[in-house]
Formats: sequence, C-alpha cells, structure tokens
Amino acid sequence: MSTKLAPASLNRRELLFHSGMGLGAAALAAILHDEARAADALAPKARHLPAKAKNCIFLLMEGGPSHIDTFDPKPKLAALHMTKFQKERNKFEANMNTGERYYVRSPFQFRRAGRSGVEINALFENFASVVDDVCFYRGLRAESVNHPTALYHLNTGNQFGGDPALGAWVSYGLGTENRNLPSFVVLPDLAFPQGGPANWSNGFLPAHYQGTPLRPLGAPVLDMTPPEGVSKERQKANLDFLGSLNRMHRPRHPEHAELQARIESYELAFRMQAEMPGIVDLDKEPAATREMYGVGGKDPDVEAIGRRCLLARRLVQSGVRFVQVIVSGWDSHDYIDKAHGARIRAVDKPVAALIADLKRTGLLDETLVVWSGEFGRSPDNGIRRGGEVWGRDHNATAMAVWLAGGGVKAGSIVGATDETGLAAVEAVHPIKDFHVTLLRLLGLDDNRLRYLHAGREKQLSQTGGEVIGELLA
Amino acid sequence: MRALLLSIAGVLLAAAHAEDPSALFTGTILPVLKRDCLGCHGEGQTLSKLDLRSREALLRGGARGPAVQPGKPAESLLLQLISGAGAIQMPPGGPPQRLGRETVDAFARWIEGGAPWPQAAPVSQWTYKEEDLWAFRPVKKPAPGWSIDAMLGARLAAAGIAAAPAAGKRTLIRRITFDLTGLPPSPEEVDAFANDRSPQAYDRLIDRLLDSPRYGERQGRRWLDVARYADSSGYSNDFERPNAWRYRDYVIRALNDDKPYDRFLREQIAGDELFPGDPEAWIATGFLRAGPWEHTGMSVEAVTRQMFLDDVTNGAGVALLGLTLGCARCHDHKFDPIPTRDYYRVQAAFATTEFARPEIGFLARENTSELAAGRARLNAVVKRTQASLGRFDEMARQAAMKKHGVTRAGDLPKDVLAKAVRDKLGVGPAEFEELKLHQKHMQIYRDSLDRFEPKAFAVSSGPIDGATDGGPNLKYPAASEYKAPEVHVLPGGNVQSAAEKVEPGVLSVVARYSRLAEPAIPSGVKGRRGALAQWIASPDNPLTARVMVNRIWQYHFGKGLAADANNFGKMGKKPSHPELLDALASHFVESGWSVKAVHRLILKSDAYRRAGGAASAKDPENALLSFFPPRRLEAEELRDGMLAAAGELSLEGGGPGVFPTINDDVARQPQHRMGSLAPAYRPSPERRQRNRRTVYTFQQRSLADPMVEVFNGANMDVSCERRDSSTLPTQAFALFNGQFAHDRALALADRVSKQAATPAARVALAFRRAFGRAPDAEEKKAALAHYQRMAAHHRAAPPPPPTPPKPVIHAINSELTGESHRFVQPEDPSPYEHDTRPHEVPPETRALADIALALLNSNEFVYVY
Repeated sequence: MSTKLAPASLNRRELLFHSGMGLGAAALAAILHDEARAADALAPKARHLPAKAKNCIFLLMEGGPSHIDTFDPKPKLAALHMTKFQKERNKFEANMNTGERYYVRSPFQFRRAGRSGVEINALFENFASVVDDVCFYRGLRAESVNHPTALYHLNTGNQFGGDPALGAWVSYGLGTENRNLPSFVVLPDLAFPQGGPANWSNGFLPAHYQGTPLRPLGAPVLDMTPPEGVSKERQKANLDFLGSLNRMHRPRHPEHAELQARIESYELAFRMQAEMPGIVDLDKEPAATREMYGVGGKDPDVEAIGRRCLLARRLVQSGVRFVQVIVSGWDSHDYIDKAHGARIRAVDKPVAALIADLKRTGLLDETLVVWSGEFGRSPDNGIRRGGEVWGRDHNATAMAVWLAGGGVKAGSIVGATDETGLAAVEAVHPIKDFHVTLLRLLGLDDNRLRYLHAGREKQLSQTGGEVIGELLA
Repeated sequence: MRALLLSIAGVLLAAAHAEDPSALFTGTILPVLKRDCLGCHGEGQTLSKLDLRSREALLRGGARGPAVQPGKPAESLLLQLISGAGAIQMPPGGPPQRLGRETVDAFARWIEGGAPWPQAAPVSQWTYKEEDLWAFRPVKKPAPGWSIDAMLGARLAAAGIAAAPAAGKRTLIRRITFDLTGLPPSPEEVDAFANDRSPQAYDRLIDRLLDSPRYGERQGRRWLDVARYADSSGYSNDFERPNAWRYRDYVIRALNDDKPYDRFLREQIAGDELFPGDPEAWIATGFLRAGPWEHTGMSVEAVTRQMFLDDVTNGAGVALLGLTLGCARCHDHKFDPIPTRDYYRVQAAFATTEFARPEIGFLARENTSELAAGRARLNAVVKRTQASLGRFDEMARQAAMKKHGVTRAGDLPKDVLAKAVRDKLGVGPAEFEELKLHQKHMQIYRDSLDRFEPKAFAVSSGPIDGATDGGPNLKYPAASEYKAPEVHVLPGGNVQSAAEKVEPGVLSVVARYSRLAEPAIPSGVKGRRGALAQWIASPDNPLTARVMVNRIWQYHFGKGLAADANNFGKMGKKPSHPELLDALASHFVESGWSVKAVHRLILKSDAYRRAGGAASAKDPENALLSFFPPRRLEAEELRDGMLAAAGELSLEGGGPGVFPTINDDVARQPQHRMGSLAPAYRPSPERRQRNRRTVYTFQQRSLADPMVEVFNGANMDVSCERRDSSTLPTQAFALFNGQFAHDRALALADRVSKQAATPAARVALAFRRAFGRAPDAEEKKAALAHYQRMAAHHRAAPPPPPTPPKPVIHAINSELTGESHRFVQPEDPSPYEHDTRPHEVPPETRALADIALALLNSNEFVYVY
C-alpha cells in the first residue's frame, strides 16, 4: 500500500468540486487561500528590499564575553590596574556591581591583524586570518545585566521573553528553501542556555517558525526515530495502516481541509526523518574540511564547537534559513585569564574555519554571520574569593560584537567605547537597532515585518528602530 | 538666543547616551504636542500652515519654513519658539517659556536625537471613534424572551444562509464531553446516550458533565492559561514555587463549585484584604504572582520591582478586563482611551503588594495524601546529596592537616578546620565544579521540600514579618517601618525618570462611558487592592462580565463572539453579535455570576448542537455559525485522552505537581541554573502518579513536556487567550515515534487482549476504546489484515530485552577555568515502577499495539467534530 499522495491543493480542489456542496466561487477561493496560507507558511517569500544575504548563522556567546579581553583592548586599564574605588550601593545598581571595586587590566596579549590592523586577543591565532572579512562593532548597548533577561532581549527583542526569536521572524519573513528541514535550527551546547527554549521561541507567530534544537547527543530532533526495537519495516507498515485509516475517514468530513494537511504533515515528517541523518553526518565531509574545523582533533572543547560550526554550514547549504550556534561559558567573574583563555582557544579555530569555509564555497556572500554575547563585561571587579583572583562583572553598556558575510562592511571597525571600556560612546545604538539592521541585511524591513497578534501589530523591534548604516557595505 | 540653545545642547550631549529619544518622544514630547499644540496646529485647523501631527509635516513646516532640523536643536524653529527667546513665543500668552524649562530641554534633546517619531501614523488617528468604545459602554439588557438561536438565526436569515442540521448523537456526546471535561466519553457512555430516547437525555448529559469533578480540571486549565500558572519562576534559576499547586487546586475547586465569578475575582485580586477569615481566599492571591519573576545578585532592585508591577498591572488588565494595559506603560495607549496616567494609577493599587509565604493549614478538601511519601522520597535524595557534599569537607580537612603537618584532625584548632572547609581548601577546579553542582542540587531539593509544608504562594499588603518571600537577594523592611511607596508616571517606562506623582485609581474611561463611578481607593498600605477588586468585580463594570462570557463562548465554538478574548480595545476584533454578547453578560450577572449557567445556556442552543459543514460563500469564516466548527484536541486533551483510551488514566485530583514520563532526551538534557546545572528530570516512580491528568503535572517554565509543547501548549510566560492548533511535522514525530505514545498503545492492546479472545473482537474493542464506536466492515478488514501481518512480524522478531537506563551526564563549561567538565548523576534511589514493556506481552498483543498506535495517531482520534 502506498502513502504517496498528489499535492495538497490539487486533492482538495478536486474534492471540493466533487463534494456537491454547491460551494460558491468566493468561498472556494477563501478556503483555498486559507489552506495555501497554512500549507505554505514556510514557502520562500519575496524580500522587502534587495539584499545579498539570504541566510544567517548567529554565533551566540552565552554568558557575556568581555569586549575588553577579545576585540576592544584598553591599555588605560594597565595604568589603572588594582586602583581601588567605591561605587555607591543604590536601587538602580545591582548589588554585585557596587561596593569596593578595582580596575582590572586585561591579562591577555593583543596583536594587530588584517588590513584594518584591528587589535585582537593574540590567542585568536586562526581568527586573525579572517578579520578582513569581519566588521567589528563597538557601539552596541544592551539594557539588562541579568543573563536570562539579556538573552531574551538579544534573541527576541523583549526582556520578558515569550516573544518570537529573531530566527522565527526571519523564517516568517523569508520562508525556507528546504521544506524537508526546519527553517530555524539551534545548535546548543549539551546544556541549554539560561532561560531555556524561550530563547528560540516562535512566540505568537505560528509554530512553524519555532527554532528546532538539534541536540549534540541522542536523536538530533526529538523522536525523529522510533523507540528501540521498532524496525524501519514495522514503522512503514504502521504508517501505511494509519494512511488507510485516515483515507477511510476523509470522506466523512469532506469540507474539513485540515485533515488533509495533517496527513501531509506525516509525509513531511518522514521525509525529514530520511533527510536529516545525512545532513548531520559530518563524516560526509572531506577529512581536510573536518580538520579545518577542529573536528576529529585532540581537543574536546574545540571538537564540540567545531562540530556545530561545520553543521551550521551544512544546514545553510541545505537550505536552512537561520542557524543559531550557542557557545556557553563566558561568564568570567573570576579567573578571567584561565576562563576566557580557554573559551577563546576553543572557539578560535572553528569560527575562523566557518568564515573561511563559507568564503571558499561561495556561501559567505549570501550568508550573514553574527557573533555576539548578551552583554559585555566591566573594566572593574569586586572582591571575591579572598581578592586573590580577578575577572569582570556584567556590563550592558558595551559589548563584543562582529558581523561578516553578505552586505556587511568587511574589514572595518565601527563605533568605539570609552578609554576604560565601560561604555560605548560612538555609533551608539540599542539592541532594537541592531535587530532592525540584521533584518535589513537579510532584505527585511522591520516596519513591514509585522504580525497581528491579539489585536496588536507586533514587530521584532517592538516600537520601531533604525538601521545602523555604518555596518552596511 | 543662539548661545542659550547651544548651551542646552551641550548639557544634553552628556545625557544623550543614557536616553532613548524615541522613548522621550512617546513619554514627553507627544503628550505636550497633544495638550498644548494640536488645538491650533493639527486637529481642525493648521494656523500658519503648520501641522504638528506627523514627523513629515513637522519637517515640511509651515509658513515660516521647516519646524525641526533633526539633530540640530539650535537651528530648529520649533525650539526657538517654545524657548521664548525670540520675538514670537509658543504656545502664545503666559510667561516666557510657558512649557517650562524641563519640557523645552526635552524638546531639545529629542531634536538632538534625530526627532524620531516611532509611530508613523498621524496623531489624529489616535482619537477615539464611537465604534471603538463599545466595550466601555454599559451592557445592554436583552428584550425578554431572547434566545441565542433567535439572535443567531436572525443574522443567518438576513444573510440567506441555511443552518446545518443537528449533529448525530455520537458526535454530540464526544464534542460536549471533550468541551466540558477535556476527556473522551467512555464507549459505554456513548452507547447509553445514543440509545436514550428520552427527551431529557441531552439535559441529563449536560448536568452530569457539569457536575463531574473533571469539569473543574478542564475549565481550570483554561483559567490557568489566562493566569500564566507555573510551578517555577522562570529565568536563570527557574526556582521552584513549591506551594503554587495550592492556587492551581483552588482554581479547580472554585470552578467545580461554580463559585460566583465576581467572588472568584475578588479572592484572586484581594482575598487577603476582603476575606481575612477565609484561608482559601488568601491562597487565591497566587494569581497576582503567577508571572515569571526573578531577583539575583546581578539584578537591579528598582528594575525587578518595576517589572513585577508592570507584570501584575498588565496581567490583571489582560485577564480580567480584556485590555492590553501594558501598551500605556511608556506612552498614552496608541489605540485605546487609556492615558499613561491611568496605567500608573492602576499600578498604584498594587504598589503595596508584597510577596508573602504565609502558613495556611491544609484544607480538608486539599489532597494531602501524597505529602508524606513525597517528603520521604525527597529526603532520601537530600541525604545522598549531603553525603556527596561531605566528601569535599573531608577533602578540605585533609588539606588543612597536610598544610599544618598534622595527622589527626583533632590536632588542629576548630576554627582552622572550619575555615578550611569554608574556603574549600585543597579542592581543585574540576572538583570545585562538582562541589558547586551538588550545592546547586542541594539548594533545589531543599526548596522542593517546601511543597509538603502548609504554606501559600501569596501576597500581602506590605510585608509580613517572618513570612516574606522572594529569595536571599531581596530585603524587606520590618512591617512596622514599611511605608507605601510613591508611584509616579514613568515616561517611556523608564524606572529612573519619575514624572508626575499619582494616587491609586482605576481606568478613567470606564466612569466616562459607563454607569460605574470612580471608586475611592485608599492611599495607605492596606485596602488598595480590595477597592480595585470591588471595582473590577462590580456588576456595573462593562468589561468584566463581557470578557468572561466571551471566553466561555470561545470554549465551545473555538472563537469568541469578540475574537480577541484578551483585547476588547480598538485593535481587538469587534464582536460579531454584540447584542448576543451583552445578553450573555446580563444573564451571567443575573444568574449570580454563575459560569455554569452560561455554559448551560450555550449548550442547550441549537447552534451548539449543529453538525459540521462547509463554509458558505457569504460567510467564509463561519462568523454566523451556520455549522459547528471542528477542532483539533488541545495538548492536554490529547495526552489525557490517550491515557483514558488505554484505560490508564488516574483520576486522583490535586496535590503537588506530578512528573509524567516525558521524552527521555529532554529529561536527561542538562539545564543551566545560575552558576551550575539543575538535577535531571525524574518521572514520578509510581505509574498512577505519572498517569494523572496533565493539569496536575509539574509546570516548569524552562522544561515543558515536549509533547504538550509541540501540540501548542500554553506559553507559561504570556497570558494565553486561545490555544493555537498548527499542524507540524514534529507532532507526527511525537505521536508516532514517541515513547509515551508507544507505551499507551501497548497498554491499550494489553487491556483489550485480556478482555477479548479473538483477533476480530480485540480489534473491535480497540476501535471502541479509541473512537467510541465499532469499526465498519472496510476498517475491520484493513485492521485484521494489518494485525495478521504484524503478528507474523512480531513472532519472527522478538523484542530486545530492555536496556538499563542511560546515565545522566552533566556537562558544564566552567566559569572559572573555561574548561568543560562532565559528571554522572546517580540514579534516583526510589524504585521505579515500569510501564508495560514489549517483552512482557505475547507477539499478538504487540501486533494489536501497532493497530492501537495508528488509532491514536488517526485524524478521527485527534479531531473533535
């Protein structure tokens, strides 16, 4: 018995014409339109504006990487190192950010890289070779110094959470080019980030636009494979029997088009089940490519991130619209030398490989790559663990961000922070402008990318924002 | 003049970075334009050809040229005129700089910031049209002798649309049973109703279902959707709310008792103030704290508090009044007649609302039967964790002995040993991560132990010494020193920019258009919420009854008469049958706010009993309800319905949340908690606990049951007015591949195999359990063919023996070293009662399970017609 069916709209049209319900042309059009809308929630859509990038890989550095110790060196801190000052406690400051404070110099060496001569942490040995493709942005300001609220803000535009993530908005705006795969894929660490799946929520948008996390262990998509002991043949036979049950049921409710859509969703699911294993199988890549990302090497931390970066490229190549790679562990309140050092060593090779590989395969032109934490870190530190160790606390007024790929002003540095790195002071923009800019780079206009929900036209920027023109080529 | 402006601009530059000019516009500039300028330059007239209603018009300017040069306050005509420095002064008359120095400064900063005008619509669109005010007008009483069918019928007749015939009895009983109880009717109930020829059969069915305890569980879930109920707080720690379940059970009880809705609301808003002698009324105030909330060492206290106040103000507005009050937080509501000032007046009614966790003895009606066992089980886990932590203390003592060159701990002074333990002496970085993990687990387990204590997750007016709540980072003053905080309008919603001070109040629009006068709300610590509750729950409040009857209508027809159940403002859809909505609201109030009376009225209508049908060209959306709209089961109905079909559903009600079987990968998924990881998810060890109704499952914000989530479960952070029902391929994975579905299918097969002997009888019984009917000839033939085929397959391929559970691996990227560490979490010490497993049943039962799996996946099972 075959479960192969003709395309949905054809079936339904036939059915409606044969159903003898005497349906008027307008009603028919309305029903077909509704179905088309439901069925085609993920069909590719025209952009609002011309743009080069059509996909996005968002490298989310969870925990708040320090701009001061990565891409925005502050020599002044060497002079101020261990200078004590007092920061008043008040209700507008977090307890942890007040009291007795010390300025802290960066424990890292910096080096100049690329034609722009941007100074970056010398541990970025590989990344140094791709900085000419990168636009460093030092003007961004977040608002919250709390991880989950700041993550929700960066990912969804709303600190409370519950709203659609950037990837969901982009999927809603552009659709996807491979209907056998989710449009918005998230590649988390083994542990999910603070705030959990709300970071990739579809919010009030239809559930088609929800981010699908591909887990690093177990089945990449939940329940994509049947329980242990259920063979492919048995699954296929059951599926065929289900198909016959549904076909026998269908004529009892000929006017109810959702029934057909649900039958098709099973077919789509099992096409995804067939296609996904091939995509997540990194052994399909040449050994040299795997090595380039650090996959199969000695370092397990590089391996874990390398796998996700390589998978991100494969997903984008297969038509996935938006991939978010999450790398945690940047919350270095203490021991920043060790903690940030190890994180930088772990991301350096995979991230550099991702840019180089996208460029080599011609994908970089049509892919927007973003690197950002949820906030930056402070130039000063309180006393903890006996004052023997130092790191940096949270800082929402400056952060480490860069962009690369289609439409980005490569090889440039935009904006600046003050001399200690406390706050962005040039080309300063809030997160919502950053969101509007990312949408713009993907050919979407935030003011037109709206969704009517509970009687309100909603948009990613919440209340509108402006494009950060300096970041655009 | 120029010098003055430049100096203004100079001062501003310093402040400019901290201020969002868009927020400045909506918070300060726009209200001034509306109040002082548009009378002459916009609405009705445009003197000097100057129109101030949009940015374009401002840039275009009037007779004297452009009014504003974005980025250049000193060169902007508007600023010259309002600063009073030139020959002409605006607004005319009065002292120089009539708008005041601060306002003029604000205009300068706004122009400096590029003069953004965040909403592109001209201001004139923000005036209120009569048709947008319907919800604020008094409810119109219907003419005597009115009926739902007469009102719907008149519209259908006018449109020339024929109504569908009545649905068959088997269709009807499945529809009404799911609608009222969230469960399928049993096959016996279907047969009894189908064969009952009595004219009272349907009325008796309605009574039976409204009286069933399952009713409150189903309708309670719907209220919990609106209230955003969860058993945890969300954000980075997602702390447990160990006593929140008492609020959940309160809601279910209230609905089962048909507690008058006005009282139900009074209790939830101000039960502590209005009904001090009723312990249940205090539990009800958990409603006000249902939203996500967190305060950590990195939180800003004023911001956290403001987030709560905004959350409770908007939450109450949306749930109880059907108004998106949050829109008026930063600026006057764009669409509805809600000035920012009213938003903060309502907020002031909550300004003394503080978190409380009072002791309230368990009520006789609360389910306390599981408390002792639950406590014992958790204590065993605590004990084991304590032992794990003890290892590190010993490590520190050993290190101290080594450091001081002694061989016995007794040779060291006590304080030296204590300090070593405190400083974790000798605990290396990897061990320290493990220590932190155990500490985190310990903290989580200890919090959970409070589930079993007679405390309530509630609020109070001002703090209660010794019974405050909110965690270690929050400090309350002593109750005797507590003063009611002042509430100010916060332009742009910015907590640091307090403007005009306001007193507690209500929405002024209501008194303006309805019969309900503005109440006096006390401005002391106590009595604020009580007065607000009386205003909301007044029979003359035009919103309250309408909002609730609209929800009830939606619960039966899938869509409210006003389609946006949480938005009765201008942007919400207008009611399709306004006179019917008002008639229902009148009936509701006159019946003593009886929710069940409204259900009964709707259920007895012909409209509810119609068959399905096709949309007419004249009414493609079926707004006139010529036929009954089918719907997909909601997530909880699906899960509960599968358990019921399998004969496994446990009907025990109430008590602390239970932990059902969820997808194993998700259960083992490590989850961040501030600084470390949470323990892995553990299903309840006993089957009857795991198989309870979904409403009783523990609602963790950061870890929803993926099967509930994928079938469009409620978002626990935002008030959910209506479940979405999108069709997704991941639903097929959950229902066709998921362990839960396979377990239910096997249980159904096992049960049926024991009740019937022949394959044909077993198949027929399986159909009855899933669909409430026997298979027809064609279905029977297909099912038997599949049965034979699968039985042969299973005889040839015995199931593999069950594999022991995979270890739970915790992986963490250390904040201290940047390295990743892995730990294995020990298994739960309590013995686990397994579901029936394939190797325990004969091959024929496994073949029947294949049939059952398809039945549970079928469209007939998943849809209600």
